[in-house]
Amino acid sequence: MKLRFDDSVEEFRREFLDWLAVNRPTDEEMAADPAVSSAYVPDWAARFTRRMFDDGWLVPGWPPERGGRNAGPIETLVYLEELNKAEIPRTTNPQGLGIIAPSLLDFGTPEQIENYAMPLLRGETAACLGMSEPDAGSDLANLKTRAVLDGDDFVINGQKVWTSGANYADFCFLFCRTDPDVPKHKGISIILMPMDTPGVTVRPLTEIVSPEFPDLNEVFLDDVVLPASNLVGEMNNGWAMANGSLAHERSMVWLMGVMGMESSMHELLELAPARLAALSAPERAVAADEIAGLYVDTIAARCLGYRGFARFVKTGSAPEQALMKAYSTEIRQDLTQVAAELFGPDSLRSGTGRHGSVGSLEAYLTTFGSTISAGSSEIQRNIIAERVLGLPRA
Amino acid sequence: MDLELSDDQFALRDNIRSVLEGSCPLSVVRAIYEGEATSAALWSQMVELYWPGLGVEEDAGGLGLSFVEVGLLAEELGRAAAPGPLLAMVSQFIPMLQQAGDATVLAAAAAGERVGALAYAEGGRWEVDAVATTAVQAGDGWVVSGTKDAVLAGATAEVFAVAARAPDGVGVFLVERDAAAVEVGPRIDPGLELADVVLADATATLLIAPGPDADAALAVVAQCASVAMALHTVGACRRIFEVTLEYAKERVQYDKPIGSFQALKHRFADMYLAVERANAVGYYAALAIAEDDDARIEAAHIAKAAAGDCQRLLAHEGLQLHGGIGFTWEHDLHFLLKRAKSGEALCGSRGFHRAQLAASLGLGVAA
Repeated sequence: MKLRFDDSVEEFRREFLDWLAVNRPTDEEMAADPAVSSAYVPDWAARFTRRMFDDGWLVPGWPPERGGRNAGPIETLVYLEELNKAEIPRTTNPQGLGIIAPSLLDFGTPEQIENYAMPLLRGETAACLGMSEPDAGSDLANLKTRAVLDGDDFVINGQKVWTSGANYADFCFLFCRTDPDVPKHKGISIILMPMDTPGVTVRPLTEIVSPEFPDLNEVFLDDVVLPASNLVGEMNNGWAMANGSLAHERSMVWLMGVMGMESSMHELLELAPARLAALSAPERAVAADEIAGLYVDTIAARCLGYRGFARFVKTGSAPEQALMKAYSTEIRQDLTQVAAELFGPDSLRSGTGRHGSVGSLEAYLTTFGSTISAGSSEIQRNIIAERVLGLPRA
Repeated sequence: MDLELSDDQFALRDNIRSVLEGSCPLSVVRAIYEGEATSAALWSQMVELYWPGLGVEEDAGGLGLSFVEVGLLAEELGRAAAPGPLLAMVSQFIPMLQQAGDATVLAAAAAGERVGALAYAEGGRWEVDAVATTAVQAGDGWVVSGTKDAVLAGATAEVFAVAARAPDGVGVFLVERDAAAVEVGPRIDPGLELADVVLADATATLLIAPGPDADAALAVVAQCASVAMALHTVGACRRIFEVTLEYAKERVQYDKPIGSFQALKHRFADMYLAVERANAVGYYAALAIAEDDDARIEAAHIAKAAAGDCQRLLAHEGLQLHGGIGFTWEHDLHFLLKRAKSGEALCGSRGFHRAQLAASLGLGVAA
């Protein structure tokens, strides 16, 4: 056990900070053209991604030809921390960089890597992940979108929903049913689909917080024709690849949740004293106690994350990380709820941006995006109960 | 930053666990509860294994391990609901002697030859401000007067390290058992050997002179006591979790194990989180103490507060999910449950530690 990182890790951190100081996008650039959707790539983000790729800072753990520098997992951790501290998004297309590009590198043909993965990594394109459907959210294996092989082409019909960034993406990593006659999870394939293919219709779903920033979409597929060469990996092996794809980000996904919570906590601790001073002594004591409890959660989330990460580095597996997804997103939800109550009627002012400041109702509403998406908290609890605790399936 | 136990630490934990499983099954705990046995035999074995001196420097006669190892010993003692003075020794009395730099008493304590207890808190408060017991110089020595309640291992201790207020501030004094009136009343968990210690002009020797040095030493010892008690509580909760999980896998209702019901699965996931959460911050705090890091003050409050959250959930769910059988004396669950609840009542409650934390975060807000 160690409280501090080794000197070599701190040296790596300093090297990145020096690079970042020279190459970071400015606050003005980011504010003038914000990343309004998870596949919208503003010019400043495209330039920044390209610089990171060229200098080996895009995915430090990868080899140089893929935008990395063969860094270890602990180095990657401090790299992500520093980006977060600097309030710079590592990418404005998280599914593209985090899931789709690495999956293509693992399973794609040389042509697919050249034409789809590399442009993503160089910040030239953005991609969306076509998984969820109206009847296949938590139960992904139930997806119905059909791809039928007709000669050298797939003909695809169906509908996707909750597709982040489909309104700006260049292509979709599309999960389709290619064999309806086998057990549900055995007949799924992944097909690369340019979003401008005839038959593709995208309808943005505006979110609860404000209609200004649509990120989620419905995607309708009517007789979409794509060449068979767009198949990723083996036919009907999409389920296994999906599990592999999601694992790419899973080892670090806790960190995003924890850092989000820490940012919110930091903001609350700055704003709270002035609000507390205006309260009666008994009210203040209750509010301070609640915030202290959330502070315990914040530190606990980091400790749990670090411990699970150490376990992952050592053994290559830490199934309890499902816990971190649920925990870190739920405590942030609790925090924004407590903060909104502390801010009283001021929490009802709107127009503080997509996520709002911590004491706004908007901030609280936004948190549901993370407790529902990418496997709801309830699904995470099932995973823990069955895979970690060994409780029997119903 | 690495918050995972090392291989050596895991090995030590497994060793402690297997010794306790052999020598201190819940049937032994039951016999002590029912007045048919004492903790003496177990204590002798612990002394033979050098457990009292686990965290004591080698040149003072100890094993030279860190407070992290003390923490894992405390956790395993909680997991076993082990009776006897060891927890008080390693987490309260010995850290006090280490702060004082008293080599003679420390060596005797580390060797298990002298059983001592810390008499610090009054009215359940672990702060220097709360010390009302007085110390007055008398000739070459001192006399102390006052009452310390709920002294851990007070029922069996031969000597007490007493925090008492002198004209120059609070100091720490050693009082032999025969100079004090030790009142042992029935308690919910006899294994903790809690006692009230009443001092009426009790003859005392100076351990740490009144003033800032003693304040600082007491603060450090309070952190050690809180963190070890937090991990002790987590240990009891972990065992509650384990036995409840086993029960849910075996107990069949409506032709299915009750653990297959989603309503219960989610509660088990929450219990698991509560235990892991409190465990992780407990070791974080133990490590901060071991490394004498500035984070230790805040971390100790966090560890004890999280242990409070943990026991609240685990005691409730552990009993509720066992159903009627868990409500009986015949079932062993209540020994663990009472140990977990005792852990909350000792070394500062969840509310106390959250209030301390709020103050340190600037949320006390002077009006």
